[in-house]
Amino acid sequence: MKNPFVRFKDYESCKREIPLDGIIRSKDIVIDKLVAGYENIVEEEVKSLVWVVERSRLMETYSKAKEVISDLEYTAEDIEEFCYELDSNERLPYLITGPSGIYISALCNHAKETEITLKLNELKRKMHLIGYQLPEGKRLIVEGDMGNFIGTRLEGGELIIEGCVKDWVGAGMRKGKITVRKYAGYHTAEWMMDGEIWVEGKIRGIGKIINGKVYEMGKPANPSYSSSPSYEGYIR
Amino acid sequence: MKRGNEESITRALNEIWPRVKKKHLFPQIPTPVVGENDEAVAIEMKDKQIILNQRVCEKLAEEMPREDVIEALLDHGTSHYTYCPWDLSTHLFLYSETKQVIKDPEMVKRVTGYFMDIVGNTYCVKEKGTKIPELYKYLERQSHTFQRTELDKVISSLYQRIWGVNLDVSGYNDLSGRLSRIPYLDKDRWSKSIKSFARIIRPLLESEKEKTAGDGNSQNTMGDHGLSGYSEEEIEDGLREFAGKTGNPEEFKEMVSDFEDELKDLGFGETGGMGRGHGESIDADLLFYMKLAEHFNIPIQKIPMEKSGSMHPHSHTPWEVGRPFQDIDIWTSFGKIIPGITQVWNKREGEIFGEMEGTPDCIIVIDSSGSMVNPTKNLSYAVLGAGCASDAYLRSDSRVAVYNFSDAAAGGKQLLDFSRNRKEVYGTLCRYFGGGTNLKLKDLEVLRRKSKTDIFIITDMQITNLEKVIDYFSEIDNRVTAVYIGRHNRYAKRFEEATQKRKNIALYNVDKKEDIPSIVLGKIKEYFRMAS
Repeated sequence: MKNPFVRFKDYESCKREIPLDGIIRSKDIVIDKLVAGYENIVEEEVKSLVWVVERSRLMETYSKAKEVISDLEYTAEDIEEFCYELDSNERLPYLITGPSGIYISALCNHAKETEITLKLNELKRKMHLIGYQLPEGKRLIVEGDMGNFIGTRLEGGELIIEGCVKDWVGAGMRKGKITVRKYAGYHTAEWMMDGEIWVEGKIRGIGKIINGKVYEMGKPANPSYSSSPSYEGYIR
Repeated sequence: MKRGNEESITRALNEIWPRVKKKHLFPQIPTPVVGENDEAVAIEMKDKQIILNQRVCEKLAEEMPREDVIEALLDHGTSHYTYCPWDLSTHLFLYSETKQVIKDPEMVKRVTGYFMDIVGNTYCVKEKGTKIPELYKYLERQSHTFQRTELDKVISSLYQRIWGVNLDVSGYNDLSGRLSRIPYLDKDRWSKSIKSFARIIRPLLESEKEKTAGDGNSQNTMGDHGLSGYSEEEIEDGLREFAGKTGNPEEFKEMVSDFEDELKDLGFGETGGMGRGHGESIDADLLFYMKLAEHFNIPIQKIPMEKSGSMHPHSHTPWEVGRPFQDIDIWTSFGKIIPGITQVWNKREGEIFGEMEGTPDCIIVIDSSGSMVNPTKNLSYAVLGAGCASDAYLRSDSRVAVYNFSDAAAGGKQLLDFSRNRKEVYGTLCRYFGGGTNLKLKDLEVLRRKSKTDIFIITDMQITNLEKVIDYFSEIDNRVTAVYIGRHNRYAKRFEEATQKRKNIALYNVDKKEDIPSIVLGKIKEYFRMAS
């Protein structure tokens, strides 16, 4: 019987390695490592139904995140891609917004770049705790609306949110500058120690400020009133 | 001169095409042709036919061998049929994914087009051995002639990075760096990839849109990717698959509206908008349910054969004295009338298709009251189920009448007389009243008397005059297929109890889309003979 494929006998595939293959391979390795690091820190946290934002817990999670990422080499693009991985929930079985925000903040704080831009406009969920402990000399620009506790305990860095933020922005910040291009929620600058918060839109409520300056639509907005302060919140 | 050039390009094309075809493993597309238009677009695709623009080919051939130009363009065009998008369903999938990032339809079309170009070109560069890089190098050198936009330059810069070839493009490192992280050749990740791609190039598109607001001219040199590139069958298949994949009438409607002009050119929506209901055109909804229903095939139980009553000769027996002469078979009796030799025919009643042969017509009764899903907003199993039932009868050459009711006594109803027009049927099925639930049995009776017919009713059974409906169905002999939507409720239970002894009524439940194929139309618990 005649081989029907004989016509293709001399066909040779010209398949070759192109730089794209290498770029994707190395990027996938980095993202896998970031995902593994995240899984590592949320192993314990996942047991809690409600993640309570309290100082000791934040510090503990942040220390663990620092430890996990200490050997990782990554870029700002990797962080951005990791955020979308988290949001899509395809590879990660659970997203606990508290620890994930701390983890992303740790990644930003320890990235090689001094200026990082994260284009997060298309996230389906709001990220919390972005900019946590952002150190001096770092500039973090986040495009998109964010959740609660943005810029908490800021350590001198500059955080720019190209969108709105929810409650507790700049809570307990020590120094540095936070700029919010649109609106901010309740408890803005709660327990703020120093630094500046510029909200270009309206602020729904200012918290108890110890020191530092808050501006609303370009004008000083340090409180003559304060909303019920308690440095404890819940992230579900 | 022009004619001479066209002939020489056609000659070159005819020489090169077999080679390209072999390289791409013999795709089933017609031999490309040479055409001419004034646009700076090198290649056009219509009904699976690649058309090379003679003017642009000539321009490109000023610096590159003509054969290389043609081969590169053919590689590019063919890769759209053999790799990305491959078919309209994938094209629409990529389009709908991009739509999640960018809302402007024109921008979405451009993003989808550029993404498909990058995938196709990169596939050729990696797997086929092609002159596409040389072509892009020349396009960039002659960027003014070919009206290359900033986005085109960014894409060329990306090619430079991911193909590892020098295309003489400088700058755009940030954007091309971000774009180079996208796994273009991984089909399983196209959903995420095109979204990332759209996110990255959106600012550029927006600024381009502002700049070109006056002339609106920002063409892709390698051609635009509209629906005209596909054959009619592919468009039918693509719409069907997209309807199945999305399962969301709103998303489908949005897509249809984005491609409205092209679809109209291809003959869709010729009947015009329904313009009924709340005054909105629901053509896209109609198309959505028509295409979605094509995924399901509901069987119809045929009416069994009936005895016609006429006698036909069946076998021989010896003639006996006293038996009638007219039954004698003269051929086997040798012309003699002698008992024992003469044979008579034994006759039997004939079994042939009687009056009700095949599939009867059907009255589709659909509930569109407030407790039912609005088919224009969400996927309505009632409309889908009724659509599938209608299709089954129409496929069997029967006619379908539709009785769409909500609060029928107060005028909340729409009737369609027996028809074979699928669009009319779906048009009536898609009508949503959203009021109370009352069935006017007189209307149904008028339809029932017109033809010997099956009845298909689809409702959630929360009918205010349910008892009357049950009595009515218990009195008639027509085959009734009753389908209730949603979970088992007390109304459905009541209907079930009251009709379970009736052999002509079959009850089904549809709680999810997958339940629809389990309906057997006209199924009866035991063969029930229609009263003639």
